[in-house]
Amino acid sequence: MNDETPTIDDPGSERPDSAEPKRQAGRPPRRLLRSSSDRVLVGVAGGLGRYFRVDPVIIRIGFGISILFGGIGALAYLLLAIFVPTDGEPDRAQRLGGRLSSLGFWRGAGMVALAALALAGLFGLAGGAAFAVALGWGVLVAIGVIAIGAVLGLTALRGGARWLIAPAVALALGAGVAAASDLDFRGGIGKREYRPLSVRAIPAEGYRLGIGSLDVDLRKLGWGKRRVVRVRVELGAGQADVYVPSRVCVTGPTHVGAGESQVAGERNDGLDVDHSAGTGVRSTPRLEIDANVQLGQLRVINSDTARIDDPDYGPGPMHEDAAPQRAAEARACANG
Amino acid sequence: MRERVKLDPVSLTSGAVIAALGALVLLDSSGGLDVSLGWMAVALTGAAGLILIVSGLAGERDGRSG
Repeated sequence: MNDETPTIDDPGSERPDSAEPKRQAGRPPRRLLRSSSDRVLVGVAGGLGRYFRVDPVIIRIGFGISILFGGIGALAYLLLAIFVPTDGEPDRAQRLGGRLSSLGFWRGAGMVALAALALAGLFGLAGGAAFAVALGWGVLVAIGVIAIGAVLGLTALRGGARWLIAPAVALALGAGVAAASDLDFRGGIGKREYRPLSVRAIPAEGYRLGIGSLDVDLRKLGWGKRRVVRVRVELGAGQADVYVPSRVCVTGPTHVGAGESQVAGERNDGLDVDHSAGTGVRSTPRLEIDANVQLGQLRVINSDTARIDDPDYGPGPMHEDAAPQRAAEARACANG
Repeated sequence: MRERVKLDPVSLTSGAVIAALGALVLLDSSGGLDVSLGWMAVALTGAAGLILIVSGLAGERDGRSG
């Protein structure tokens, strides 16, 4: 007999004056089961909604939001999908849960650890492919991906090799993202600070860094009244900061492959962030910048007081208001 | 008598899709094509989606026949 079955089912225990237990006798025992009828993925939200008598849509929204906060909701969903049975025909998740339960705790934990290790391996493969592309071996990596794809296709004639799909996709993913974002780590790794005192000290090919922090402080430069300075900044991944005096008008194109650009108080973020500051403006003194950050943050800071050694300086939701920089930029570019 | 080998559509489709992604990376790396990150994201998610759809359809077919 099921432990959860109400004892009122026992004919000997029924009393004529107990109306409430009679009503309960017809109901099935309340048990958390995944829903086979109200399901989007495997019926976890549908089952929880029925159990707690809440609209499953609210639970789905809750899971969606919780994924944004460290992914704990995704983990909870996965565990519920595997270990909570469905109210219909046993599905794949339930069979997996049954298999894991039959293994016992330690073997089950070992299996989970192995799966986590495999996942980490896939991340490693994707990262390795991206790194190789960023180091300039993009063509070789691409040929490797094509070769793996061809081998996988050929194995289809002999029953297939589906185990090869996940690593091949991880390789293609890492290589594709690195190639499309033009990641270039060949400029070195680390922290670089430049404080040129004259225009001649600015390298013609510009300032370049592969990965890390690149600071270019142009505030000690002899700007004069009519000076126009051209600077090129290239960064693979990390943060690039260019500091100019508040009276200098900043113009020119900037590009961020993935991340954020804050140019003279204007903030943009996302993928392929292109910005063109002060198009057509001829005010002097003027900085004509050509900056390209593939992954990370680019800041062009119009401020006489910002400290180069303060990594938290600058406009943004967590730091200083961008309005003073926008005002400084507007004044500088308006004065011819 | 020779045993008839079953063609695996999942491996075939995945192989073709991965080779196509590799060709896209090759074109981008060699300078033949300038693929933006946004379009690469479209290509990658499309490829993953196609593999999942074919896997799902093949799984359903295997379930019916098995």
